[in-house]
Amino acid sequence: MNLILKKDHLKHLLNAWRQDYEVYAPQSLQNFTHFLPLQDGFELAFDKAHNTRIPPKALFLPTSEALLKFTRFGGYEEVPSETAPRLIFGIHPCDAHAMTMLDTVFEQERYTDPLWKARREATVVVGLGCDEPCKTGFCTTVGSGPFNHAGLDAILTDLGEIFLVEILTDKGEYLFTQLETASEDQSMQASEVQQAAKASMPIAFETEGLKQKLDQNFASPYWEEVSRSCLGCGVCTFLCPTCFCFDIVDEAQRGERVRNWDTCMFRTYSLEASGHNPRPSRVERTRQRLSHKYSYWLDQINQIGCTGCGRCVRYCPVGLDIRAMLRKAHQLPSEVLHA
Amino acid sequence: MPDIDALKAEAKRILSEGMVDMVIGFKAGDTPLHPQPAFFKTPDEVDQLVYNALCQNNLATYLTRFPKNQKIGMVVRGCESRSVNALVFEGQHPKDGLYLIGVPCEGIIDWRKIVEQTGEEVFSIFEQSNNTVLVESKSGFFTLEKETLLHESCSRCIHPNPISANVVIGELLPEGDPALAREKVAAFASLSMEERHAWFRQEAERCIRCYACREACPMCYCEECFVDHITPRWTESGTTPAGMQGWHIVRAFHQTGRCTSCGACERACPMDIKMTYLTEKLNEDMRRKYNFEVGLDATTPPPFSTVTLDDKSRFVI
Repeated sequence: MNLILKKDHLKHLLNAWRQDYEVYAPQSLQNFTHFLPLQDGFELAFDKAHNTRIPPKALFLPTSEALLKFTRFGGYEEVPSETAPRLIFGIHPCDAHAMTMLDTVFEQERYTDPLWKARREATVVVGLGCDEPCKTGFCTTVGSGPFNHAGLDAILTDLGEIFLVEILTDKGEYLFTQLETASEDQSMQASEVQQAAKASMPIAFETEGLKQKLDQNFASPYWEEVSRSCLGCGVCTFLCPTCFCFDIVDEAQRGERVRNWDTCMFRTYSLEASGHNPRPSRVERTRQRLSHKYSYWLDQINQIGCTGCGRCVRYCPVGLDIRAMLRKAHQLPSEVLHA
Repeated sequence: MPDIDALKAEAKRILSEGMVDMVIGFKAGDTPLHPQPAFFKTPDEVDQLVYNALCQNNLATYLTRFPKNQKIGMVVRGCESRSVNALVFEGQHPKDGLYLIGVPCEGIIDWRKIVEQTGEEVFSIFEQSNNTVLVESKSGFFTLEKETLLHESCSRCIHPNPISANVVIGELLPEGDPALAREKVAAFASLSMEERHAWFRQEAERCIRCYACREACPMCYCEECFVDHITPRWTESGTTPAGMQGWHIVRAFHQTGRCTSCGACERACPMDIKMTYLTEKLNEDMRRKYNFEVGLDATTPPPFSTVTLDDKSRFVI
């Protein structure tokens, strides 16, 4: 069922939601946008052409968080998992889609992360489709799209004075009870906007057979070539909505066991206690990053581990573009693997 | 702007005459906004060489990656040449293993300031002789004042000309006004301690500890950075206020007498964190107290890299 949300009614609705939820929406922070909790007198900052600088995965997996607290003289207490109801408003489909992939990591049958799970269950997600898809994005290439529904409870399409609201789950339906139903014309109009957005996005690289190329060329000089200018910083992975690696550190002075974001691009990531490092240089680290997304995720969940949000392309300090790297990978020779 | 053909010719010459094993420069990126650092090993590869105001990295950061017996050619601007000098002083590469092709630098453009005005889909960027930049994007043609697009570190650059280069391609430019750098330091120093602390906290708070600033900096080449050290741990590991402030303050102080004010740290930061207000203050202290500026040659030791028997502070000896 499709509903109509008048734009001049939006603030009122967000404020009404604030009675029941902590509402997160994109707001300006310095020169970019960020998902922040709405306070009285809030100003939304919908930057339609871009995503928020930090992906909303940070609302579920914070850059740093304490897992438990301990004292010097023994004993510890777990940090209670956060369960207050939350609503994320205005998330772009690539970021919401990414969250469903991270669910497969943090909510595995045998190993479930209680903090992640509690936050996911307590959160309703309302998306804003991208009628002006960003130029660094390539969601349609990797199986997502500017109006993809994965991970969303409802999705909005901008139709000028109004948003067309598509309800996708019961959680979503509960949010929009007071709105009038969209006419057939309005639904048609939204569908046209969605199709046009999708059609405006070129296919950035060929995904068919890409995994095989990466696997077959594990030892190729290609990796040295594409990683040569890499600085080895964490920009691409920290700003990535599907990267989830973390490191657990005991902050003894504060008495906290902390989980911090970590990245395969760091030297220390795979450094072992013996001093051996199985990924000793940027060559192996770059291979890990690309292969994880475009090969290993496929082995695990049969999906590419990238939703094409384009942050890594836009913010790489040396202008490395994963799309160009993968176009090049696709041209690598297919070799017969020896058993 | 240096003549790109002359630049290519020199790079090809030093490769074909076997003077160097490699030339580090830039090549075109996937969009005109992002040229990429490149490593040319044959004269033919040099055809890809580009040089323009969008080349935002300090290439000297790559120098420490290569064995000391490798002969390296590098396209260097003022700041890069001073970084190279500082690295040579610190024993990171022998001076005679380097061939520096100098280019006088008119400042680096912040690509973000271009797309703010032209939109994301940029097809071409031309630097014109009258200090304007002609940008063609999907939204049309734009003529932008170059001065308004420059990075802050470049607007207040004192030494735009390469120092100790083997050859300079292009006309030397007038030196910058040191007063401009001082102005920034003075403005920050004139704030109250509370205001300065609030500013510092606000900048550090956004940090996600991706260490792009560290990796972009030619002078950050420690095999093991203090933040990665585990026993003992020098600073908190996470994005707590103590962790972020610890990182930023120690990073800056480790640059005392070593920072060339190139601004590569700020240009690499994905969170737009201002960092040079700290290093500029330290550089200003070095100038004022020790009459020292790093990188003007490869032989003068930075004040904090020396110990003398008549040192005022006796604690080190």
